[in-house]
Amino acid sequence: MPLTREQIEELVALLGADAVLASEAARFTYEADALTLDRATPDVVVLPRSTDEVSAIVRWGRAHRLPVTARGAGTGLAGGATPEQGGITLSLNRMDRLVRLDAERMFAWVQPGIVNLALSQQTASHGLYYAPDPASQQVSTIGGNVATNAGGPHCLKYGVTFNHVLGATVVLADGAVVSLGGEALDAPDFDLLAAIVGSEGTLGIVTEICVRLLPKPEAVKTLLFDFTTIEAACRTVSATIASGIVPAAMEIMDRHTVTLVESWLHIGLPTDAGAVLLIEVDGPAVALEAQTERIVALAREHGTRAVRIAKDDAERAAIWKGRKSAFGAYGRLGCGFYIMDGVVPRTRLAEALASIGSMTAERGLESGNVFHAGDGNLHPHVLFDVNIAGQQAAALEVSHEILRMCIRMGGTISGEHGVGIEKRAMMSELYAAEDLATMERLRFAFDPERHLNPGKILPGGSGCGEARAYAAAGARREGSPAQIVGATAGNDYVEGPWI
Amino acid sequence: MDLSATLPGVALDPAAYAVGGRAPRLAVRPASREELAELLRAASRDRLAMLPWGGGSAAPFDVAPERYDLAIDVTSLNKIVEYDPEDLTVTAECGVTLETLRNTLAARGQELPIEGAHATRATLGGALAANSSGARRLRMGAPRDRLLGARFALADGTLAHTGGKVVKNVSGHAVHRLLCGSRGALAVFVEASLKLLPAPAMRRALVFHADAAQLRDAARWADLPRLEPSAMTVVSRATAASIAGLATQAPYVIAVVLEDEAPWVERQTALIEDALGVADLRIEGEPVVALTQALCDAPENWSRRLTLTTAWNSPAALGVIDLDVAPSELVFHSLAGRLHLEPIDALPITEVQRLAGNGFSSLDCRGTERFAPSPPASAVGTLRRRIRAALDPEALWARGSSWESNR
Repeated sequence: MPLTREQIEELVALLGADAVLASEAARFTYEADALTLDRATPDVVVLPRSTDEVSAIVRWGRAHRLPVTARGAGTGLAGGATPEQGGITLSLNRMDRLVRLDAERMFAWVQPGIVNLALSQQTASHGLYYAPDPASQQVSTIGGNVATNAGGPHCLKYGVTFNHVLGATVVLADGAVVSLGGEALDAPDFDLLAAIVGSEGTLGIVTEICVRLLPKPEAVKTLLFDFTTIEAACRTVSATIASGIVPAAMEIMDRHTVTLVESWLHIGLPTDAGAVLLIEVDGPAVALEAQTERIVALAREHGTRAVRIAKDDAERAAIWKGRKSAFGAYGRLGCGFYIMDGVVPRTRLAEALASIGSMTAERGLESGNVFHAGDGNLHPHVLFDVNIAGQQAAALEVSHEILRMCIRMGGTISGEHGVGIEKRAMMSELYAAEDLATMERLRFAFDPERHLNPGKILPGGSGCGEARAYAAAGARREGSPAQIVGATAGNDYVEGPWI
Repeated sequence: MDLSATLPGVALDPAAYAVGGRAPRLAVRPASREELAELLRAASRDRLAMLPWGGGSAAPFDVAPERYDLAIDVTSLNKIVEYDPEDLTVTAECGVTLETLRNTLAARGQELPIEGAHATRATLGGALAANSSGARRLRMGAPRDRLLGARFALADGTLAHTGGKVVKNVSGHAVHRLLCGSRGALAVFVEASLKLLPAPAMRRALVFHADAAQLRDAARWADLPRLEPSAMTVVSRATAASIAGLATQAPYVIAVVLEDEAPWVERQTALIEDALGVADLRIEGEPVVALTQALCDAPENWSRRLTLTTAWNSPAALGVIDLDVAPSELVFHSLAGRLHLEPIDALPITEVQRLAGNGFSSLDCRGTERFAPSPPASAVGTLRRRIRAALDPEALWARGSSWESNR
């Protein structure tokens, strides 16, 4: 419901006229993140410039019984930034500064709206960079990365967002501003910061972040292997880890994906391969030669047909462009597809992929795979044609089945995209009732009135009987476990969403 | 009523479970997680004030709790549940000792990335609950960085599980990570999955002797953090005397630990010796593991101790205190910014103020309350109390109120 004139005037008095978007057209722009199947229009959009303004908005919203949903760049794939129950969308994009860089001690204080890649660019002249590199890093913000505990191809070696956040200033559900963690590595008592990272804006709104920076690796080697079967590529991944090497990244594209990417970009990928495996190692130059030789030997043992080692930055960039364009390549197909974010133990990758192939084939559907093999993080694409009756429903059904398989194999339903709205219903298949009730207890302690991003992550019905301050507004779609994309023919996804 | 007759588990001598000199009325060792849950349900019905107990390497030195009825010894929950080296992860029950876990992994060329003092008896659960770390903190991360998921028991006997066993996971609230550092005040760790590290191809420690002037010379150390050694620890002469092989007449000893591919270790060695001169001692291979364990153990052997944390990552950070009046026992894991001092009663208040004014803050204090961490600011304190109340509404964990009442 749109705000009253008085309410808008109050917000304008708090924030200034340019920071309050109340028109219908402006509000529609914020009705979804990159999960566009779920849409809900916020009652108002606000663009604060400071922690104090964020706090003021949260307090004001509480007084008016309007929930607050924080938003970064809106690249999230799970509906985490979709204001499902209306209320206030709080965009942090104007808080985009690098506040303070300490190059000697290798950390920086940043505002949440700073773009991931901009942070690395702004620290590069000091020989430093910010390690987590979600594929959306040209657009997505550190605040959003913190909310979803974002990963990326290089988190195999360097860890995910959580491992790089030292401290944060957080606005709690009652508007109180707290400082958690700090510049030092450790802080006393139980770890509130660890609960905040990855909580999708449900426990607090992060308004300033202290991130750890790393020295840029001296050297990088990018290798591309060609395998006749995807099983052999997966076994090479396991064997590399078992041999004591943790590469910076290990990514696999199956035949379907390779063919699509190559027919688009023409970068010399082997379209007759069963799979290509991209391995990148980085670190001191003197250590890389031997590592590269060991990896190549392992790949040969597992039957690689060919290895291509990038000679220079341009070739390295071309190989990565191929990997990062995979999503766009599917978009060019002109059919619809679901993407999942399941994880299995990396030793079960080959088995998981074989099951995905047979599960989709049984329903007369096609699927393709491009994934973070080193982490066991799968992104199956299940294709469907909306013009063929029943195909979309079948694709949705098989998507559920694939995530159930991940759970059975000891894995999980989301490795890096988050639960949001999209995977909420599947949480009760992943966790027992006591597990969800325990999470609910934590949520209740942070936000008893369900003021911040209500309804996300946890399925309805669990919990410890707390008062639900906000009734669910509008029709809510429970149950799609997968990102749906490109349902209209002819879309050409040159960039984003990103996986 | 004889409560011990009604509680499941093996009854033990309560005197062995004293905290700050105060023994509980009862001590029990459950044989399984089911028995643990049953014990907690029974104890919570009787509203007993409880404390989980691992190897007892840290808890005895804590401040005595106001109420302390029951010690729950979890050391029978010590199975390694699942370990596949190709996954580079392990799932183990939390009563397993760090040493058992470390040896199991070492046999397959992998490393436990959690350091704790007294590894022969310190348990995995204790290390997680204490958020323990050692000289290699920066390389390994804190326990929370390695913890993929955990099963834990709440005071009412609820067994819950959050996270998982795979290396990437953003499904749901990370209660398991929240528990790191809770020191038995929120839940008992029952089982944990950890992300491991491969054992390095080569280990070497370069040991340098230094006087106070060299220690203060920031330029001397400036390039070292970026060479990414796995540890750089300063110990005082008195402390060095207690560590096998480190005894010296020099006022300070700096141990730089290198763990990596052999060619890089050789190059790091050359670069470091360019900056600092030829090392006074080189230690190679497995004895380096013993050295890092000894550096971790040293402060734990002091009956009193002040532990501070700082973002400073150079030995020169110690230059802010008057090294001539510095406590005789000193361990500074400089890359981790963690400083342990003793005797703390001899430390002039002016020096403490100087530390506090230069980015050091108190992390932990043993055997004295003189320099305990200050209570959290009001909003954080309120939040912490609310979380405790949500997970332990009857306030049954004996250490639960320690941050308000004892600190």
